Amino acid sequence: MRIKIDFTLFAAGLFIFSFLLLTPKISFSDADVSGLIFQGADLHHRGKLDKAILKFESAVGLDPKNEYAHNQLGLLYAKKNKFDRAFREFVIVEKIDKRNTFAVLWQGIIYLRQEKVDKAFEKFNEIIKIDPDNADAYYFTGAIYNFRHNPSMAVKYLKKARDADSMEAETHFRLAKAFHNMDMTANAMLEYERALEIKPEYTQAINEKGWLCYNQGNIKPAIGYWKKVLKINSRNRDAVFNLAKVYNELAWKYLISNRLKEAIDYWKKTVSINPGNKAAKYYLNKYKQH
Amino acid sequence: MDRRIFLKFLGTNLISLSALMLCPLKVCSRTGFDYALEAQGFIQKREFAKAVNALKKAVAIEPDNDWAFGLFGRAYMGLARNAEAVAAFRKAVQINSDDTYSRMMVEILTQKPIKVLKKKERPLTELEKKAFQEEVSMADKMQGERGLGYKVNRVVIDAGHGGFDPGAVGKKGLKEKDVTLDIALRLQKKLASMGRIKSFLTRTGDYYIPLSDRTVTANQYRADLFISIHANASKRREANGSETYFCSEKASSAEAAKVAAFENSVIKFDKPYKKKAGFIDIEEILFNLEQKLNWKESGRFANLFQNRFKEKLPLKSRGVHSANFYVLRKSKMPSILLETGFISNPAEEALLKQAGFRDKIADAVAMGLL
Repeated sequence: MRIKIDFTLFAAGLFIFSFLLLTPKISFSDADVSGLIFQGADLHHRGKLDKAILKFESAVGLDPKNEYAHNQLGLLYAKKNKFDRAFREFVIVEKIDKRNTFAVLWQGIIYLRQEKVDKAFEKFNEIIKIDPDNADAYYFTGAIYNFRHNPSMAVKYLKKARDADSMEAETHFRLAKAFHNMDMTANAMLEYERALEIKPEYTQAINEKGWLCYNQGNIKPAIGYWKKVLKINSRNRDAVFNLAKVYNELAWKYLISNRLKEAIDYWKKTVSINPGNKAAKYYLNKYKQH
Repeated sequence: MDRRIFLKFLGTNLISLSALMLCPLKVCSRTGFDYALEAQGFIQKREFAKAVNALKKAVAIEPDNDWAFGLFGRAYMGLARNAEAVAAFRKAVQINSDDTYSRMMVEILTQKPIKVLKKKERPLTELEKKAFQEEVSMADKMQGERGLGYKVNRVVIDAGHGGFDPGAVGKKGLKEKDVTLDIALRLQKKLASMGRIKSFLTRTGDYYIPLSDRTVTANQYRADLFISIHANASKRREANGSETYFCSEKASSAEAAKVAAFENSVIKFDKPYKKKAGFIDIEEILFNLEQKLNWKESGRFANLFQNRFKEKLPLKSRGVHSANFYVLRKSKMPSILLETGFISNPAEEALLKQAGFRDKIADAVAMGLL
């Protein structure tokens, strides 16, 4: 069996190489370019960024209109924190072909990084005009609307992102947040759950699910969600402070209904997860003699 | 021989060679591998439809055969069905993450628009049905307004101090915690009567809430703005006036920086974020952007409220200050802190004691929100 696998891989490799030399569909200008591109892509995947850059630079030297090579150079320069250079590569691609939405998208992302939200927004809208099914452009537009606390517009765009590509946990999460902001709890819960189906350890989604439950009076499941987050990451700041706040609130509730023992239990819980919690420490100290 | 012709020749022969090497010994019970091999032959002959049929049989037998999915991608490309080709190449990469060729093909094909594949319909779950009903009933509310202006629909109002922490205490005994709670309650009442903005309080009575709980409340209610109400104090009795603080990357003064440094030193949570070299984290870009937009918006609100105070209150304006407060930095919305006058100043203590003056403060804040 072992021999067969190795044999298969070797043969498949030979086939891929030969296919690359032959296929006219990929629009490589010649075999040298296709070889360089394949090597560049492989080096890029293996994290050898400088070597990959050399290969793609050689490729665009031979074929200056190779959109894929320019796009890869853009990505590689961005990964090397050379964002100006990266941007130039993406602009070159857009000049070669305006329909290369990948290049336009990355220009938008670089604008976001530079906090030029209006320009990024324009770029994403440009993509949507070219490609009404572009999940990424909808995603970023929806995210921008979320940042501007305009949840109905965020929902509109993030739903389109979800419908175009439902496999991104972040899309479901941001859509859930937008629904949550509109008090559309069933939709929010559904999208948080979809995010968690894709990424079960998505702690932000679990934390938010906790509030969704808590605000509807479902205290026990809410606490369960935050505890789950702490099992994934015991230093998760949100889960620690969410639990501390809720334990303090419950302690206070028991105190005013004269159930001191339960109140003390909850303050103890607060201190156990958040030892610096001034409120719990003070009240524990005050009531422990009683 | 011309280099190009030679390469083409080499390629052709490599295909034959690899095909020979892969040729099955068994003929009777065909494996997925056998079908894939057959498909490869069809692809060579540019009989892509036949290749697709053979590959369907191959993956039915071996659903984890990355090679077959790679071939699928090529066959679909031959049929100009790029969406299916991308799906097949993606599947190949999913099975074998080192499949550079399939990954490269996905990248090449997705540079430009491709048709979205129709999803298989399936019955709705209970939660999906509930969500659908909710969307129908909320249809009117979902008609959003375009434009990138910041929207405030929910505010969390934080009455500073409380319980065992009285905050600053005036010479005549006025406690900051009582002043802040009264202003917060008045503000909530005003906003409720105006109707458009929902508001929530971090505390409704005289009890202590830690700083972390206050920002958590803002996150709990998904506030668009967090307003913390305080009254100032100084050892110099003559110090007077109102001022507003907000969180920013750089401190506006050495004093503000000192305050922030003290606040930040007590925080022991969160592992420091280590940037992975050679990796672009899109979510990190979005997180940083959101934070900076929130800070910018905090600055705008801080100026807005301070201007209202200047117009509406008989107090000197001490301006707007900023610093990088860890706790505010972690809040998920614009946050500001209002200092509504010096309780340590006898004249201002007298003002802050008056219900009418506290009402004016609440009024100035409420008007600033509309």
